[in-house]
Amino acid sequence: MESGNPLLDDYVLGLTRAERPRVCFLPSASGDADHYIVRFYRAFSAHRCEATHISLFRREQGPEDLRRHLLSQDLIYVGGGSVVSLLGVWRAHGIDAILREAWEAGVVLCGLSAGSLCWFAEAVTGFHGAPKRLDGLGLLPFSNCVHYERGGSRREAYHRFLLEGMRGGYAAEDGAALHFTGTELSRVVASRPQARGYRLDVAGRRVVEMRIATTFLGDRGVELARPVPEALSTAVAA
Amino acid sequence: MGLAGLNGDGAAAGGGAPVRRILALGGHDFTSRPPDRAVCELLLRLASERGGERPRICILPTASGDTSDQIGRFYGAFGERPCEPSDVSLFRLGRRPMALHDHLLAQDLIYVGGGSLVNLLAVWDAHDIASILSLAWRRGIVLAGQSAGAMCWFEAGITKSSGKAREAAGLGMLAGSLCVHYNNEPDRRAAYLEAVADGMPPGYGLDDYAGLLWEGEGSPAAVTARRGARAYRVSTRDDEVNESPLPARFLPAPAPAALREDIAEFRRIKTMRKRAGWLG
Repeated sequence: MESGNPLLDDYVLGLTRAERPRVCFLPSASGDADHYIVRFYRAFSAHRCEATHISLFRREQGPEDLRRHLLSQDLIYVGGGSVVSLLGVWRAHGIDAILREAWEAGVVLCGLSAGSLCWFAEAVTGFHGAPKRLDGLGLLPFSNCVHYERGGSRREAYHRFLLEGMRGGYAAEDGAALHFTGTELSRVVASRPQARGYRLDVAGRRVVEMRIATTFLGDRGVELARPVPEALSTAVAA
Repeated sequence: MGLAGLNGDGAAAGGGAPVRRILALGGHDFTSRPPDRAVCELLLRLASERGGERPRICILPTASGDTSDQIGRFYGAFGERPCEPSDVSLFRLGRRPMALHDHLLAQDLIYVGGGSLVNLLAVWDAHDIASILSLAWRRGIVLAGQSAGAMCWFEAGITKSSGKAREAAGLGMLAGSLCVHYNNEPDRRAAYLEAVADGMPPGYGLDDYAGLLWEGEGSPAAVTARRGARAYRVSTRDDEVNESPLPARFLPAPAPAALREDIAEFRRIKTMRKRAGWLG
């Protein structure tokens, strides 16, 4: 849902392998902001997918049976915003358990920013004030940091948290997406030529940051149809 | 008067513990219609009793997901009044960081908007807001709200957060339960009476434009901003649920804010025409 750049949207739609994928947007992290929902329907327009959204602040509209609706999707897209609020609202509506079930059933899960952090066991949130550690849903047994820019406060905080005992994990710069199949990283793709993904671990008392080879999706000749290792399920975090 | 706090100071004289005040409203909006103006007037008065000439009034629009609509209407109602309105939008903190604890505790009145009771409590829990509100209450900051923003102070309420009307837990600062939009949404009232019969703690029903004001210990005072809008005490005795309307004080609407000159002019012309028999 980058404005004017559909490369990552095209990529996740491609992962569903459905001719007309069913895509459901969860804008909970934004408080179900109207402008965000409109942006989703613009990016995932009716000519290429069957798009819906679930607004947990307006349950009187939309599907009544959340579980049934979510489990019938090919792709579930989680929007950005406050990951703390996101997880709180999800738990109150039982969405956390449904998403795990959807993941195990092979529905592609994806999202950006807060919508990336949520899938991991641990995350670095910098939404409000100084970056903080936070537990996510734990589908992916790693830590995650988004908006991982050089000299940024999140990067610095992530390194500190790792030294303080946070488990190793993955970071993504804006425009980069981490594609997991099951709990294994399949590849890193990007909608911007310079954007990269990183693997982070602690060795001894040092943080080891490893840049991961990243495929720029805008390059001509990128083989998008190249099969990823046979999927139990797939999660893409941007 | 029957409303001690409408006369007295928010803090008890002689340096004792501040009076704890909560205003629960069954439902209203921030329009310029008379009953909405009457509700705003009461909110402003309660805030002024604590904060003087320019009290601080803050909206927590969390239950709506911090919609611009709810925030805009709040500023529309209080922006031109003698007060300092502000909002704490938890979903927008990324763009507008603020020190939640300090900001909320500097208020004279904290108003909680309507929406989803379940989401309201879940998000507050995630941000640890409940402990701040409890402290604010104990310090004499007036807590107020309508719909979900009224039920949240009780042990339980009847919410439509999942579509159908059903029971949900609140913060429990006030004992018992509350059902809002009482006679305005018959399915909600029916669900409430059934839940109370099944063991939900009894409490109160509030029509739109009816309210209950707690000041310190003891029973609340009922108020109403619209003729016919009532507050009810819902209790159980011998397995029977009883519902009895409470005597309420009527809140008159203040004079509307000065009309914009062009609208006033239009109305003058219309009145003249009517008098002259030009219009039916």
